[in-house]
Amino acid sequence: MEASESTSPIPNNRTSIASSTPVWPTIDGPLGLSEDESLSYARRFYMFGFALLPLLWAVNCFYFWPVLRHSRSFPRIRRYVVGSAVGLTIFSALLSSWALTFAIGGEGLFGPVWDKLVMFNLADTLGLTGF
Amino acid sequence: MAQNQRPTSILDSLGEEIVRILTPVSICMFLVVILVSILNTDDSSSSVTSIATIAYAENSSDSSWDKFVAFVVLGFMGGEIILFLIEKFSVPIDSVTFFVVLYNFAVVGVLAVFMSKMAILVTQGYLVVIGMLVAYWFTLLPEWTTWVLLVAMALYDLAAVLLPVGPLRLLVELAISRDEDIPALVYEARPVTHHDSDSTNGIVQRRVWRERRNIGHDCADNMNSVTNSNSVRSDHNDTGLAGAEEGRIVERDAELSAPLLDHIMTDHRQRQEDDASSESFLLEGIGLGAAGAIKLGLGDFIFYSVLVGRAAMYDFMTVYACYLGIIAGLGVTLMLLALYQKALPALPVSIMLGIAGRLGLRQISTYMRHGSMSNIDREVKR
Repeated sequence: MEASESTSPIPNNRTSIASSTPVWPTIDGPLGLSEDESLSYARRFYMFGFALLPLLWAVNCFYFWPVLRHSRSFPRIRRYVVGSAVGLTIFSALLSSWALTFAIGGEGLFGPVWDKLVMFNLADTLGLTGF
Repeated sequence: MAQNQRPTSILDSLGEEIVRILTPVSICMFLVVILVSILNTDDSSSSVTSIATIAYAENSSDSSWDKFVAFVVLGFMGGEIILFLIEKFSVPIDSVTFFVVLYNFAVVGVLAVFMSKMAILVTQGYLVVIGMLVAYWFTLLPEWTTWVLLVAMALYDLAAVLLPVGPLRLLVELAISRDEDIPALVYEARPVTHHDSDSTNGIVQRRVWRERRNIGHDCADNMNSVTNSNSVRSDHNDTGLAGAEEGRIVERDAELSAPLLDHIMTDHRQRQEDDASSESFLLEGIGLGAAGAIKLGLGDFIFYSVLVGRAAMYDFMTVYACYLGIIAGLGVTLMLLALYQKALPALPVSIMLGIAGRLGLRQISTYMRHGSMSNIDREVKR
């Protein structure tokens, strides 16, 4: 029963030792998943996040927030959640740097390509908002 | 293992439940009002056909089609609205970032709404967003079409849910008899749990009618029962059985606590069985009160927001009057729900009160602007 390493025998964790491990790996607590289910969920979110889905990594980190916070809990789940967190930071750093360069640099940096790439012009050319 | 039982009043739990439904409804309406007031453009009639096809497609029951439609709603409708906003505020975002963000938003949205065990907040947030998007598109309909549509939907809702041959009622009863979730986009408020239940490691049930099946097992998830909080103690033993069923590790705790509480178990069990049977009879799927969550269909969100969004095209006092009418209607509906313990239509009362609010306010503002009607007649005759 691998679960015994992480579930404390004392049901009421709040009143026991301050740094005790949480019983529930998900942020929803008793409404959320059990540990085995959350392992498969964490793994799936982590894998699918590689399909250019950093938001999925963010959801992973949010959902398994207790796993992130308590550094010694749920070692198997923690691997995937930390991986998701790392992937999220890297991806959002890349994306935001590109977006900010584009927005701030403007035409001066990019030349005429800027007008072609910017969204409101693109929407007009493609007729996306004109019905 | 003495546990402090916080004496809970009906007001606490019922009030909490009601607030947990009113909050997302209010947020959805508020967002639609903001969108309408920002993007208050002329009515476009060609959007009607696209809305009609998408609305029709939403009624299909094929599961992958549902996901596709949700993806389309989130992706295309959401994308169009974001494009409107981008154009309005001239945000210098580039197309690559835009498409990546939109793609993320749509995919995670579909996952959130259709995967059964996603983070509750994420699911609720996405349901509110979907409701807001569809409601905004409906406000683009011409004025009288909107009002007629609202009244027609209210009447249809009334008929479909209350009549014995009504399709929605049959759907709900089928779902209850098959012990499944209703196959539709339904907003489910987080069930109210009291503090004592935090320590019992039980599984809090979100699908209420399962309790009727499990009376034999006493799948005792009535953590926050309005009538008795002593059942919490007997939950320890019972979750042991439920644990075996669902393969949870709760059994360990049940075994530890069982010897201590065994002597209390027997008579509690007896009482709990009666309570469970009477209580789960009270909670039919959509009931108010104990462990079940209140469920409100997404269509209700959408039509409330359409009413308020349409009101936002006049002025903000109308918005406020309609909002109050709708909230009052929703309160009345929830009270009736607690009274009748069965699936009830949420549209009719709210829409009638909302429309009454709109018309009433129009009368009042006309009166206030022009004095009494006799003054107008005098002026006209002059």
